Amino acid sequence: MTAVANGRQSSARGVGFGADTILGILLVSPILLTMTALVFYPMGRTIWDSLHRVNPMQAGTPFVGLDNYVRMFSDGQLGATWTNTLIYVVLAVAAETIFGVLAAALINQVKIGRRWILAAVILPWALPGVVNSVIWLWIYQPGAGLLNGILSAIGLPFENHVWFNDRASAIVAVTVVHVWRMMPLTIVIVLAAMQSIPSHLYEAARIDGATRGQMFGLITLPLVRSAIAVSMTNATVNAFNLFDEAWVLAGSSLETRPILVQIYLETFQNLRFSYGMALSVSITFVSLLVSLVYVLRVYRNTRFD
Amino acid sequence: MKTNFFTRLLLWTGLGLLLVWSLGPIYWTLASSVTPTEDFSTRPIHFYPQHFTFDHYARVLGISISRIGGVEVWKQFRAALFNSVVTSVAATVLCVAISALGAYAFTRLRFPGRQMLFGLVVATLAIPAYAVLIPLYQIMIKMHLVDTYVGVALIYVSAYLPLSLWLLRSVFEALPVSLEEAAQLDGAGRLFIFFNIVLPLAGPGLAAAGILTFLGAWGQYLVPLIFSPQVTKPLTVLIPEFVTKNFIDYGLITASGSIAIIIPALVVIFLNRYLVSGLLAGSVK
Amino acid sequence: MRKSIVSLLASAALAIATTAVAQDARPFAGTSITVLMPSPQGPDIASAFEAETGIHVDLQTLSWDDIRPKLVTALVAGTAPADVTEFDWSWTGQFNAADWFVPLNDLIDAETVEDIGVAKIFTVDGKLLGIPYTNDFRVMLINKKHFSDAGIAEVPKTLDELVAAAKQLKEKGVSQYPIGLPLSATEGASTSWYLLTKAFGGELFDKDFNPLFVQPDSAGYKALAFELMLLKEGLVDPASTGLKDTQINEGMFSQGLTSIMISGEPGRLGQMNDPKQSKVAGQAEAILVATESGTTRSFGLPEALAIPKVSANQEAALVFVKWFTSREHQKKNLANGFLPTRTSALSELNAEGKLNSGDALVAQSKTVEALFPQGTPPWYPQFSSGVNTAINSAAKGQITIDQAVQKIAEAAKEAMAQ
Repeated sequence: MTAVANGRQSSARGVGFGADTILGILLVSPILLTMTALVFYPMGRTIWDSLHRVNPMQAGTPFVGLDNYVRMFSDGQLGATWTNTLIYVVLAVAAETIFGVLAAALINQVKIGRRWILAAVILPWALPGVVNSVIWLWIYQPGAGLLNGILSAIGLPFENHVWFNDRASAIVAVTVVHVWRMMPLTIVIVLAAMQSIPSHLYEAARIDGATRGQMFGLITLPLVRSAIAVSMTNATVNAFNLFDEAWVLAGSSLETRPILVQIYLETFQNLRFSYGMALSVSITFVSLLVSLVYVLRVYRNTRFD
Repeated sequence: MKTNFFTRLLLWTGLGLLLVWSLGPIYWTLASSVTPTEDFSTRPIHFYPQHFTFDHYARVLGISISRIGGVEVWKQFRAALFNSVVTSVAATVLCVAISALGAYAFTRLRFPGRQMLFGLVVATLAIPAYAVLIPLYQIMIKMHLVDTYVGVALIYVSAYLPLSLWLLRSVFEALPVSLEEAAQLDGAGRLFIFFNIVLPLAGPGLAAAGILTFLGAWGQYLVPLIFSPQVTKPLTVLIPEFVTKNFIDYGLITASGSIAIIIPALVVIFLNRYLVSGLLAGSVK
Repeated sequence: MRKSIVSLLASAALAIATTAVAQDARPFAGTSITVLMPSPQGPDIASAFEAETGIHVDLQTLSWDDIRPKLVTALVAGTAPADVTEFDWSWTGQFNAADWFVPLNDLIDAETVEDIGVAKIFTVDGKLLGIPYTNDFRVMLINKKHFSDAGIAEVPKTLDELVAAAKQLKEKGVSQYPIGLPLSATEGASTSWYLLTKAFGGELFDKDFNPLFVQPDSAGYKALAFELMLLKEGLVDPASTGLKDTQINEGMFSQGLTSIMISGEPGRLGQMNDPKQSKVAGQAEAILVATESGTTRSFGLPEALAIPKVSANQEAALVFVKWFTSREHQKKNLANGFLPTRTSALSELNAEGKLNSGDALVAQSKTVEALFPQGTPPWYPQFSSGVNTAINSAAKGQITIDQAVQKIAEAAKEAMAQ
């Protein structure tokens, strides 16, 4: 309450420097508190533990320096899982961004029944993970699956095709499920940004005789750039964290195994906790670095006045 | 509006494709949920149910108190549905409130360390849940928050805060400052401006942040598995129990999944209003 | 009058005595314990146990795949996931090395351990870490109607007879792919290969854990070659490289599309013979595992109950473990799909005619060996996922048998290195 009064008085007088600081800190304190207790501190612990040998099957937790990180270079399977993860990231981010922005633009054009369309588009994301897995497992299933059923119904020789026998189709199959589930995120973020664009900009353009395509390229896209950066970052992080889709559809098969499945196996199957933590720390930093590229290149502050 | 036939056609084809893509697997879920158990995995495949049954729904909803392996499905399902709604709603309200306040501070107020704090918070987007699972568990045990609504909701807030904060900051940054400056000249305080001018203008952003958080929390699986083992167990942890070591109960899984998507769909339909209100932002000028 | 007073007194004394006895037998009445088991479990476990012992049970169930991450997270954080927890045979080596569970040797009477033969699978370094409550081992499951339709009178005892029967089933058009065998990168592919290795008369490792499956004349090598031969001859569905064991059991065997499950699970017979869940009800039957020599072999994959060392209610927890694995409860628990681990309970149920293919199951249960006679090693889970990854690659034709067994040997070495 004092903060409110303070803020009002000082800003009214135009000397709100100290007051701004106090109010600012007050307003971000819930964030600071939550994040410190539930993310920063645990993450610090994880980084610290990754410099030790934490394995319940071996006594003690001696400090081992960067051993867990060095070990990655001699880990035979790790290279393949990194490659798989990078392929997922490239495919998923490209597909989600391109199709997601197009879908948002389409929905943005619709005037009647838009909420129904939006609700329909968001459903994939609302389906509980296990239902999602069971359904897609069924769609891809060789004998009685929906995909082969449809393909053979239109006369193609796919009665008993096994999608997971060939690496390329297996990776694409996993990516499709991931994109299906995650694209609604991009659509919602970009659509919200499109909705925030003041309509007078379009009116002005229309008076100037711009076509729909020109309006999209010259007004819409530049103004939703920062939203696209947000959604691309989010897509990147989600693709780096791909787990369920690969695990359910192809088990621990090396051809589709992403880095997160490797972390799961090292941690919960092999009980090498500190090695798993070192892997988690690495993937965090790699996905941050990749995301930074978008943020720096695509994100731009946009203001309409 | 100069919409010619060709653009219209393109628009409707695009929408049609989008709907088929999104709803195809959903249709398959619904179709399976009304298929009798003995018809699953018959060959050749049928694109619509050959026999129709509400048996699975009856089991989920307890209309016939039948049991799978002796577990009363309806009692568990009702509790899990309630838990899912409570934790997701609590997390959404808390997350959007905290991040809206924070986003305003980050865009309009100058205080030391703001850039760094913002960067740090957003950077946590990249942390996979596995990375913090074990230290987090130790903290929650010490605070006696395991298997409580507060504990789970707080974890969801910490997980979705970065995205929500970033989204809202970019929305606030895009808002015209001229209105706020005018209000400030009239002697309005910061918080008055925030609640009465900024928030109404940021409707679409708030709605989007709300949708993202709600759906994110609704779909969480690993976190409740560890932190909500019993009393606060949500749907995402309950439904996998229908997959037992020897038998996958496709009927129960698809029927409960079909019910589970209704609530997020309602939330989206409700929040859509605010997603549109952005048009207002332009007209105020 | 006097008589009645005496009898009254007597009955009063008796009443006092029984309450006293009951109180003695219920020393933990009023305590509360938590139990973590995979779903589904019987509905009245908690109430029946509380009625008998006065101990309140909070029964937590999770899907089977979720139990392990939950257990491991809590235990590594130094807290008890529950007072009594699930304990799978494959975890024995690891959880022993981690020293997470209470050794039960001195707490369980010798007679029980004797009766529960598979308890030896949970014994490492002389420590008994869990009391098995549900029996799982491998048998072969056949569709007997398919067999008679194809004119096969004798059930196969040797692997040659098995292949001959499969070929006949295929030729007569009874089933296009007569043998069900998971070849995906999942645990089912590993266990099938272990069983076939035993069927070819061998073991996976010698007593010092040196691999025994690398030489072309070894049982493990022959087992893998056998699997690939079945695939090549069209006796196994080529789609099996993408199918888990559950999918083959439910999607193929129960649909009448396949006739023989080589690595069959006795626990599935109930569903397979239930007309509401299966198209082959009344046709599924268990037979003894066919082997190269004709003398059947099998190995056990039972699940047990165990007590974490950090549990605060170990004594009450022990009461639950004893109660849950008692003969009476095991016999009752058959209704919930759990095959008894007590030989006595199994024989009694068979005598009462309550077991599906009872004679075969009782006979096979007597031949159950441990997969690792020296005790399940701590590196088993990692080794096993190396096994199914290699088998999956070989079945997809990406690597040869020699390369596959080499990869398995490497996986074993890597897993042992820690």
